[in-house]
Amino acid sequence: MFKDLNPLLHSQLRLAIMSILISVDEADFVYLKEKTNSTAGNLSVQIDKLSQADYIEVKKDFVGKRPHTTCRITGKGRKAFSDYIDALKSYLP
Amino acid sequence: MEEKKLTEKESLELITRMIQSTKENLEVGRGNKFLMYGYFTVALGIVIFLLSLFTHNNLYSWGWCLMFACWAFVSWKAKKPDVITYTGKAIQRVWQIMGLMFAITFVSLWIFVVIFHTHYILMILMMPLSLIYVNIGVSITGIILKDKWMTFLPLVSQLIAFYMLVAIMNNIPNILLNLLMSFAFIVSMVIPGHILNYKMHK
Repeated sequence: MFKDLNPLLHSQLRLAIMSILISVDEADFVYLKEKTNSTAGNLSVQIDKLSQADYIEVKKDFVGKRPHTTCRITGKGRKAFSDYIDALKSYLP
Repeated sequence: MEEKKLTEKESLELITRMIQSTKENLEVGRGNKFLMYGYFTVALGIVIFLLSLFTHNNLYSWGWCLMFACWAFVSWKAKKPDVITYTGKAIQRVWQIMGLMFAITFVSLWIFVVIFHTHYILMILMMPLSLIYVNIGVSITGIILKDKWMTFLPLVSQLIAFYMLVAIMNNIPNILLNLLMSFAFIVSMVIPGHILNYKMHK
C-alpha cells in the first residue's frame, strides 16, 4: 500500500536542503546555495518554510560585519525525513 | 534548482546526490592546523634549546608560554567553515577538551608553585603533560578519521613523554628536553599532518 508523501518535503529544493542537513551537523546559507545550485531568494523562502515547520533551526549572526546564517536539522525534521524515506520505499517495486 | 514536484525515483536520486555531495572535499586542509602547531612547536623547542645552551639561562623555558600565542593566532586565522560535519564536530570537541586539560594543568601548576614556593616544576612538567594531551588528541583524531598513521604515531611520541617524566622525577634537569619536545611534535603532529593533507589531495 502506498503511503502519503509529506508535501513539505516532496519538492525539489526543500528535499535537497533536508538531504544535505541530514548528513552534516550544520551548514551555512552559502554552502546550501552552492550545493543546491539555487538562487538566494528561492533558497531563503524554502528555508523559512522548513523553519516554520520546525524541521530546521536557523541561526543568524555576524562574522565580522557580514551576516551569517547557519541551518541545522531538528529532531522533528529528522523524524519527518525518515518517515518520508519510508513512504518513498512503499512506491518502489 | 527550482521548487517543483518530483517523482519518487527523482526524489531518491536527489537525496543520494545531495548526501554524496556533502562528503566531497570536506576533509581538505584538516592537516593544516596540525602543521601550524607542529612546525611552531618544533621551531620553538629548537630556539629555546639554543638560547639555553648558549646563555646557560633556564629562564628561556618560559618561552613555551608562546604556545598560547600560537593557539590565539591559529584561532584568529581559522575561517568559520561553511559546513560542519559530524566528524568535524567530534574532532572539534576532542580538541576543546584537550585545550581545557592543558589550561587546567597550567593553572594547577601555578597554584602548586604558590603553595610550594618553587618555579621549577611549573615549566618543566608542562612539557611532558602537554605532550601526553597532544598525543591523546592526535590519536583520537586518527581514530575518528580512520587514519592508521595518525592513530599510532603518537604512541612513539608518548614514549618520549614518559622519558621526560622519568627524567624529571629523577631530578635530571636537561635542556635536551626542549629538543626532545621538538622531535616528539615532528612525530605526533608534523608527519601525520603531511600524511593527512597528502591523502586528502589525492
